Amino acid sequence: MATEGETKPEPARREGLFRTFLNATELDIRILGMVGALLVIWCGFDIYSGIGREGEGTGLLGGFFLTPRNLWTLLVQTTPIAVMTTGMVLVIVMRQIDLSVGSMLSMLAVTGAVVQVFILGPSLGVGHPVIWVAGVVTCLVAGTLVGIFNGVLTAYLQIPAFIVTLGGLIAYSGIAFLLASGVTIAPMDKTFDVFGGGIPESWIGPFWSWMLGAAACALIIYALYNGRQKRRKFKFPLRPMWAEVTLGAIGAVAVLGTTWVVNSYPWPFNLIKQYAEANNVTIPDGVENTDGNAICMSAGDVVRCTDGLIYYTGYAVPVLIALVVGAAMTFLSSRTKFGRYIFAIGGNPEAAELAGINTKWVTVKVFALMGFLVGLSSIIASARLDAATNALGQSNELYVIAAAVIGGTSLAGGVGTVYGAILGALTMQSIQSGMQLLNLPAAFQNIVVGTVLVIAVFVDQLYRRRVK
Amino acid sequence: MFKTILLASVAVASLFTAADSAFAKGKTIAVSWKTFQEERWKTDEAAIKAVVEAAGDKYISTDAQGSAQKQAADIDSLISQKVDVIMVVAFDSDAILPSIKAINDAGIKAIAYDVQFEDPNALYITFDNVGVGRLMGKTMLASGKKAGNFAFIKGDKGDPNATFLFQGITEVLKPQMDAGKIKVACETFTDGWKPDGAQKEMEQCLTANNNKIDAVISENDGMASGVVAALTAQGLAGQVPVTGQDGDKAALNRVALGTQLVSVWKDSRALGKVAAEAAVALADGTKIDKVKGVTKFANGKNKVEMNAILLTPDPITKANLDDVIKAGWITKAEACAGVKAGTVAACK
Repeated sequence: MATEGETKPEPARREGLFRTFLNATELDIRILGMVGALLVIWCGFDIYSGIGREGEGTGLLGGFFLTPRNLWTLLVQTTPIAVMTTGMVLVIVMRQIDLSVGSMLSMLAVTGAVVQVFILGPSLGVGHPVIWVAGVVTCLVAGTLVGIFNGVLTAYLQIPAFIVTLGGLIAYSGIAFLLASGVTIAPMDKTFDVFGGGIPESWIGPFWSWMLGAAACALIIYALYNGRQKRRKFKFPLRPMWAEVTLGAIGAVAVLGTTWVVNSYPWPFNLIKQYAEANNVTIPDGVENTDGNAICMSAGDVVRCTDGLIYYTGYAVPVLIALVVGAAMTFLSSRTKFGRYIFAIGGNPEAAELAGINTKWVTVKVFALMGFLVGLSSIIASARLDAATNALGQSNELYVIAAAVIGGTSLAGGVGTVYGAILGALTMQSIQSGMQLLNLPAAFQNIVVGTVLVIAVFVDQLYRRRVK
Repeated sequence: MFKTILLASVAVASLFTAADSAFAKGKTIAVSWKTFQEERWKTDEAAIKAVVEAAGDKYISTDAQGSAQKQAADIDSLISQKVDVIMVVAFDSDAILPSIKAINDAGIKAIAYDVQFEDPNALYITFDNVGVGRLMGKTMLASGKKAGNFAFIKGDKGDPNATFLFQGITEVLKPQMDAGKIKVACETFTDGWKPDGAQKEMEQCLTANNNKIDAVISENDGMASGVVAALTAQGLAGQVPVTGQDGDKAALNRVALGTQLVSVWKDSRALGKVAAEAAVALADGTKIDKVKGVTKFANGKNKVEMNAILLTPDPITKANLDDVIKAGWITKAEACAGVKAGTVAACK
């Protein structure tokens, strides 16, 4: 969204080409701009973090940011916000707001933890398979119910959503505190922790990652083909063939590139060692090399080496969840009747009502969906921390809303995309993680994130005005 | 269950003090709480009430519900009830000062309980927060980590305690830092003392240092849970010592498991007991600088010199884990969950 800037008269022919490209592929220039901005941010951090530490960083540009490890961590760190922001987009598109998601996340995480640690743990015995299932179901069901509650108050009792969820923001954190009686509840069930991405059991490995990557590519190609057939059937204008191929190629490169990155992140040294010891895997002999990521036996000791036993992480379970949620929510918002209703209500509530849409019921459903996603997010967040406290998730509502807005969602309603919001979440987390990598003061981080939010919306406004 | 035990033990302990101050009967000790939203204040209250009532005095209290205005009104009403001592847990340590002046003017004794306000006539009773920081540093050095890359995960930048703690930590580690033995690999404040924030900070710290982190000073137990989660994901939990404070149950369990080095424990029951004893003594007419354990304290925001009682907190490590179990703070089953038999003495 930062790329357009002033019109330069000089490259008229090139701009013409670019226009043709945009028109033919029907790509959103703002999304392209955002991807561009994200890449600039990433490269900037990589160069910056490498300055003064030549030879240490293994990143693409000599730093610590563009390494498989950091990008992998970045994806996992983004997931709780990304999952929630896909729902927030729909809420905001419908001209509503949900300020309660952060406190709701605390409340749900604590509820799930109480069920696992205090109620079922002692009675069934730690590790019983019912425990993690109950934890997951509790978070999801309770989340949906709280969402319905918010929705009913907003739609049927006609209390403004701002007030309903502001009340929720305050009240739910109080409930979280009471449920936890102010203490940290830990540790969570070990199987439950698979949802957090912090343990080897939650890494699916290169084989399955490539399989999923291939499946995703097949899906992209099928979607393009299917779309073309439908357009032909309804006699809509077709995209030129080269545009279809380009789109397919961009999609495939993105999917396979991401897969390649996550498949290049090796397990930490100690975890390979622990796994080999626990499962009686023979560790090959080799020459010690402290820069290596594999493990070898050398003179009776387990050492680092380049040519030995090594495992790669592949996708982490929470990232897969976020990707599936992103895809499902994109489908829901752009390809279903429910999705169209939401945008219709956001565009003009009165007209939507007069057109026969049950706006109240749709509102309740959207809030319920939001609640469900907060429940999902609370599972990921508490599994990742392997603990739940009433502090978990507090003030997340600000980041969730900011991610949606940075991703091009208009607070005036009617406009917004799920993938834009996910990109927004990724952008914000990139900025935060990058600054933490540089060990910049927390106050400075807040200033930058706040500034980026305002600038992003400003640029978006400029663009919209120009298009009009 | 354990609450009744602790109530009983506090009551028994206070019987002895009651004997000393038996002639102070009939005085009224008031407490102006800033809020009852947090669980811990109820623990404090139970301890205070037990001591006061055992001394034959009357305990009354007000709850400011997290509002400076309400607290001012509360104190006005306590003054008009002609109480003998008012303990104040200030919601806002500056806004409270006019109320403290009113207390002084009415000839009533004021105690700043846990939260400081700077009035030279009042008695300040708290755990020594700089001391907590010192203990974190000392325990780390005593564990054998005297050199290497240290990560410092500090609390919220708006909370003066985060800075007090860090002051104590650096005071102890400074000689090693100056000698170039301890290197500050990462140092950062954490918004709202949030554990998930600390987890992200630790992840980025490990990434930036290629996992070459030798010790982590986390300023409380909640953040330590995030730090340990980040270390676990790199297979480093248990190898890199982590500090904390508060005596959280989950943290004490980590101490037993070996993934956390120390949790500095501030027993709020001990704080309540000492404060109540001081209040009873003041009501009885003891001069403020003659109360047991009083020292001078001038380390506040405006460096006003006050009489203060600073309690020393207790660093809980594997070696003295038994202390918290015996004190009834945590059950053995909770502290020792998942601990391999024979690795920790307290879990036998």
